[in-house]
Amino acid sequence: MRPEQGAALPLTDRRLDSVICRRDGRAITVGALLAAAAELARRLPEGAAPQAINICTDRCRMLVGFVAALLRGHVTLLNADPAPQRLRALAARHPGAYLLVDGPVPEAPNLYAPEAPNLYRPEAPNLSMPEAPGLPVLQVPEVEPDAGEGAPPPAPAIPARRIVAIGFTSGSTGTPTEHPKPWEALVAAAQAAAERFALDDPAQPPASLVATVPPQHMYGFETTIMLPLWAPVAIHAGASFFPNDVLDALESLPARRVLITTPLHLRALVAEGRRPAPLAAVISATAPLPPALAEAVERGWGAPMLEIYGATEAGSMASRRSLLEPDWLPYRGVRLALGAAPGAAPGTVEVPGLGEVALSDLLEPQPDGRFRLLGRRGDVVKLGGRRASLADLNRRLLEVEGVTDGVFLAPEDLERDPAARLMAFAVAPGRSAEAVLAALRQSVEPLFLPRPLLLVPALPRDRLGKLQHRSLAALRLAAAKGE
Amino acid sequence: MTSGAPASETVAPPAGLLPQELDLARLIVSVLSLEIAPEEIEPEAPLFNQGLGLDSIDALEIALAVSKTYEVKLRSDDERNHRIFASLRNLAAHIEKHRPR
Repeated sequence: MRPEQGAALPLTDRRLDSVICRRDGRAITVGALLAAAAELARRLPEGAAPQAINICTDRCRMLVGFVAALLRGHVTLLNADPAPQRLRALAARHPGAYLLVDGPVPEAPNLYAPEAPNLYRPEAPNLSMPEAPGLPVLQVPEVEPDAGEGAPPPAPAIPARRIVAIGFTSGSTGTPTEHPKPWEALVAAAQAAAERFALDDPAQPPASLVATVPPQHMYGFETTIMLPLWAPVAIHAGASFFPNDVLDALESLPARRVLITTPLHLRALVAEGRRPAPLAAVISATAPLPPALAEAVERGWGAPMLEIYGATEAGSMASRRSLLEPDWLPYRGVRLALGAAPGAAPGTVEVPGLGEVALSDLLEPQPDGRFRLLGRRGDVVKLGGRRASLADLNRRLLEVEGVTDGVFLAPEDLERDPAARLMAFAVAPGRSAEAVLAALRQSVEPLFLPRPLLLVPALPRDRLGKLQHRSLAALRLAAAKGE
Repeated sequence: MTSGAPASETVAPPAGLLPQELDLARLIVSVLSLEIAPEEIEPEAPLFNQGLGLDSIDALEIALAVSKTYEVKLRSDDERNHRIFASLRNLAAHIEKHRPR
């Protein structure tokens, strides 16, 4: 399946008259989508290295923007964060970038230059940030269902090795790490997912997908942008964040309905208590699914509960049926790369189109070709689909003025409770917890801010200056009892 | 934040919190384990990002708690959604308007 160097793969393998998006009862065909993308592609900026920061939240318009960038040979930066400081940092790192939006530029009205309303300009740059050039803003228009009728839409081939998208791992803060994605890797993953979940089965009706994950998150991008280009599925393009959005969306769609979600959203959906329209499958990723949630879906909703194992670096790699299968079945072409020591838990995988990729998880191969997830390497914690290192968070806490000592703690149930948060102890004579938190907010993503941050007179360090697990646990217990 | 909102969604800002705002503030502080006294939440300050620093996980938690406590279903496919979540005052006003009596 791996194409030769210099080979090309089509943009899509789908029929032009098949439905790719649904919104408000309207069906958008592949042909209409391609016509809209070709029209947008003509308006995209020229330049030495144009790159699309596509922050569209409507999946159909995200798809139009992505395909338009593809048609022009532009890379799409998979960033969902519309915060001005994030956009400014991206624009500084990627001169030639432009912003694709499907609404107002969020929370940044003061960043528009008044003389050029469609041009975004950074505020006066602060000292640590190189000045970003003006960032052109383009609105991705709503796709008309009859767009492209009569005109043959473009069906270009895309060089298999070309980098078409860049995924980001945020870490706790600062400069996110970039993960370039060649076209062939994205296509291979989409085909593998279609095969694994029987979405390409011609004997069954085409699937309708509702997703709660942003299309810029790697998991959301693979399942709601790439998959519709390579499997006969239609993606719901409207809002799907709150439980009642999702339930309404499912009711509005024809069977077979598939819900693409995360433990966090699923927990809220199950707690909402309203039974969803019949589902052919529920797929979750980003964190291990608590068994109680899997049971609620399998028994309560009567739907198969499937999980995808993936990482931004490697994309989706394996899946399992949560209640029945403790181990993960690799996607077609994905292989665990065993280290030098036989039987050692490998931390790398070989992924079609990407080669060997290092992971932050420890995997243990099983005799049946599956693997078991043993845990995470080092001090990496994961919240809401994003990763951070505790050591890095500790360093940022110590950088706060007035903080003389401090430590972040992950609760024991971090992996099991989708809504769990980190906590922190800090020694900061003369400063309030609010002041320390406010300072921390400048350098740490809100998701990873400690909740609570407790001020203590001293941390229970031993003679070597280390914090023992036991004494921290005691401190945590005391904090839970007191206060 | 309220200047562009229709009168039906907002209340003339009184000093301090209205009783229903204080109830909502207590609910939010309790479900999110916030380190702030409910009375200290600024009724007109943004709940998300800068103000209270809440994020999308919190939005889900709040939606769930509001659904259970007030039987008001929050949805995002709603042009007013940004305004509803803009502040404690707006969210409380939205709940007051839509809760079953």
